[in-house]
Amino acid sequence: MSGDGIISTTDLNLWYREKHALQSVSMRIPKNKVTALIGPSGCGKSTLLRCFNRLNDLIDHVKITGKITFDDHEIHAPGTDVVLLRKKIGMVFQKPNPFPKSIYENVSYGPRVHGVRDRETLDRIVEESLRHAALWDEVKDRISDSALGLSGGQQQRLCIARTLAVGPEVILMDEPCSALDPIATAKIENLIEKLREEYTVIIVTHNMQQAARVSDYTGFMYLGKLIECGKTVQIFEHPAEELTENYITGRFG
Amino acid sequence: MREELLKTNFLEGTLVKSFTIPLSALTRSATHARYSLLKEKSIQTVFFSTAFFAVIVVTFILLFLVRDGYPVFTQVGILDFLFGPDWAPTASEPLYGIFPLIVGTLLVTLGAMVFAVPLSIGCAIYIAELASPRAKSILKPAIELLAGIPSVVYGFFGLIVLTNFIRVAFDLPTGETWLAASVLLGIMALPTIVSVSEDAISSVPHEFREGSLAIGATRWQTISRVLVPAALSGIAAAIILGIGRAIGETMAVMMVAGNAAIVPDPVWNILSPLRTLTGTLGIEMGEVAVGSDHYHALFGVAIVLLVITLGINLAAVAILRYLNEGRVASAAKKPFFSARTRARILFAAGTLGFSLLLLILTAAPPYLAALVLFGGGGWYMVRPFIPENRVQQIAFVFIGLATLIVLAILIIILQDIVINGLPALSWEFLTTSPLDSGRAGGIFPAIIGTLDLVVGAIAIALPLGVGAAVYLVEYTQEGRMTQVIRTGVDLLNGTPSIVFGLFGFAFIVLYLGIGVSMLAGQITLALMVLPTVIRTTEESLKSIPMALREGSLALGATRWQTISRVVIPPALPGILTGAILSIGRAAGETAPIMFTAVVFSSRFLPDSVLDPVMALPYHLFILATNVPGSSMNKYGTALVLLLLVVSFYAVAIAARTHFQNKMRG
Repeated sequence: MSGDGIISTTDLNLWYREKHALQSVSMRIPKNKVTALIGPSGCGKSTLLRCFNRLNDLIDHVKITGKITFDDHEIHAPGTDVVLLRKKIGMVFQKPNPFPKSIYENVSYGPRVHGVRDRETLDRIVEESLRHAALWDEVKDRISDSALGLSGGQQQRLCIARTLAVGPEVILMDEPCSALDPIATAKIENLIEKLREEYTVIIVTHNMQQAARVSDYTGFMYLGKLIECGKTVQIFEHPAEELTENYITGRFG
Repeated sequence: MREELLKTNFLEGTLVKSFTIPLSALTRSATHARYSLLKEKSIQTVFFSTAFFAVIVVTFILLFLVRDGYPVFTQVGILDFLFGPDWAPTASEPLYGIFPLIVGTLLVTLGAMVFAVPLSIGCAIYIAELASPRAKSILKPAIELLAGIPSVVYGFFGLIVLTNFIRVAFDLPTGETWLAASVLLGIMALPTIVSVSEDAISSVPHEFREGSLAIGATRWQTISRVLVPAALSGIAAAIILGIGRAIGETMAVMMVAGNAAIVPDPVWNILSPLRTLTGTLGIEMGEVAVGSDHYHALFGVAIVLLVITLGINLAAVAILRYLNEGRVASAAKKPFFSARTRARILFAAGTLGFSLLLLILTAAPPYLAALVLFGGGGWYMVRPFIPENRVQQIAFVFIGLATLIVLAILIIILQDIVINGLPALSWEFLTTSPLDSGRAGGIFPAIIGTLDLVVGAIAIALPLGVGAAVYLVEYTQEGRMTQVIRTGVDLLNGTPSIVFGLFGFAFIVLYLGIGVSMLAGQITLALMVLPTVIRTTEESLKSIPMALREGSLALGATRWQTISRVVIPPALPGILTGAILSIGRAAGETAPIMFTAVVFSSRFLPDSVLDPVMALPYHLFILATNVPGSSMNKYGTALVLLLLVVSFYAVAIAARTHFQNKMRG
């Protein structure tokens, strides 16, 4: 893969109890590009994504070997500040998970836990983030209302705004549209398109058209292995592996 | 559009990123990182200590019971102590044989279950399967109310109404009998068995129900052949919990059992008085000389009692935990017992029931015996010829009857206390001190004393309990350590309240030298309600979706930030509900404060936490058992205590329902 790698994994293995969920995955994620991870259910896409911000730490009985680097730093190295890592690598989840607080509090939560107290700065960050997530116009009049009153698509954009508010370099998206209707999906896809300018985006998706539409690079995973990885155009038009071709042409899945 | 967005947001400098900590490396400035790591670590240590506290308490309880109890085992000998036929600690030649006490405990419990189990299961089936949503919304709080009535109030009711009824009905010199104790304990065990069995029946997967109805089974066939068998292990656990409740009860049983340390003659004579292990402790602990043989013997009794209840409770916990894991692991949960074991258990239970029936029948008048035998035999013969819908009608009549009886019990108890207690209530009664050993005057110091005790207890138990629950849910992965802590909490939960009283007396009052005081009572009560606080807090923390925690952590919040800002605020209503329930429980308890905190009569309010206090439950106990001719004030005290405790419960139940509805939407 070409371009500046911002995250790369070398011979990454992950076991969940007895299950060998990731099998020697080695890949490089180029900087300021959108990389899509595709593959059938249970192939390890989400697991791989959750390795990048060490969210798998929360799960019992997980064992990881191999190397993951972010900006040339080994993220499993002792002394790594997981908090700082997660600040730099944000994440948007499959189901929108706004906190049961107001819209404003949701977005300002991140900056606050990182020590921003000044009200004006917070106001500015909230507005910038919401604008950037293309949500500002829809919510600016009810910024103090509960976030749970928003529609699913709005909630998901709120979660993106919440992620942007801590100023990450990488944004991980775990099937961000799977719980949304087509219109809301289109809005998120447009947003991803814009985010590419500032951020590195890694998106896990079930939807191959979505991968083709939004990504620059695509990795195809199958049964815990990274089968193929390259420019999206190439993966979709001239896949090197037969497995990839079968999956993309819908012969299994 | 993209350019426009960039213009509005990022051209004036990267505002959004303006507060980024300017470091490219993943390690922050060394001191800052160390500081924040240290902070997280110390917070975790604090939570760990609160969680470990439960284990320490259990260890101390065991330690002090054994310390004060082992002399009796060496002096009397284990076998002579356990199986000696005579308990006569104050005779000139004292005898310390607790065999009649063990038999008494077992018989009372057995009787209580014979009374409570059919009623409870009928009532549980009614609530789970037959009741309309409206009836359900009345019945469930009613059952919880029954659970909230303090045991000393049950004892008072038993002493005044139930024993009197039995005395007249069976033409006895006194109604204080095995029968009275069993009925009363049965009533007290009802709520536990009903609610746990109801849960078990309700959580049988819907497909079972539909599948059975779809092949043309009647509702009763579905209930009796599909739902109840599927819920059998849950119902078994419910009964075991009920048994634990009955064995550990002190006040009520002590007030109505007659307390003669004899084995009934013949052994099925339910009209004989008897005495339990708990009753013995309750009666004799207050008057024993510290350090005497008798004193050690009482601690020996407590050890035996603790061993029995802990065994029972651990069995129940093991079954419940197994069930929960099974439910998570697979949708189609495999039954706890294999079909063969189940058949065997049913057979054994049937045989046991039948022989019990025969036993009782030999004591009953011949015409009754004949009636029961012919009725049972006749039913067995005729059963195949009765159409299924008729069988269903008969079954539903019995189930409805069971539910009505449970409701009637609640209403009888409440109306008796309310009707007789209301005339006593007056401003003067509530605000003056007692006169003439409580026959006249008011109960002001007792109300204040109870509030003092409860406030102190919750102030101690709440931080410890919430801390322990936070540690268990948020900080650990399941492992050996959590298992040790959880077992400690379970053990604490199963410890009879009278044992807390003994421990409080031996450790806090004597060993720490605090003396009989408000503080000693507060600590003892706090230890007793600690498991309740831990459990309810755990439940409400677990109900917060994992997605919220992940969302917060993914933003780079620390664990403590996530817990304090995202997890605890929505869990707060649940935590407070648990706290209120604990307050209600602490306010009604007598046994733990009897030897640690209270005096019967005090004209003045305590000056400091080191003074003894009056308390409502103890006041009622003494009035009921030791002060003849104070009927009005007795009922008045009972009513005030009941109102106090029930209002705590009502607030907790209402709060929970309110927040549940709010959560749903």
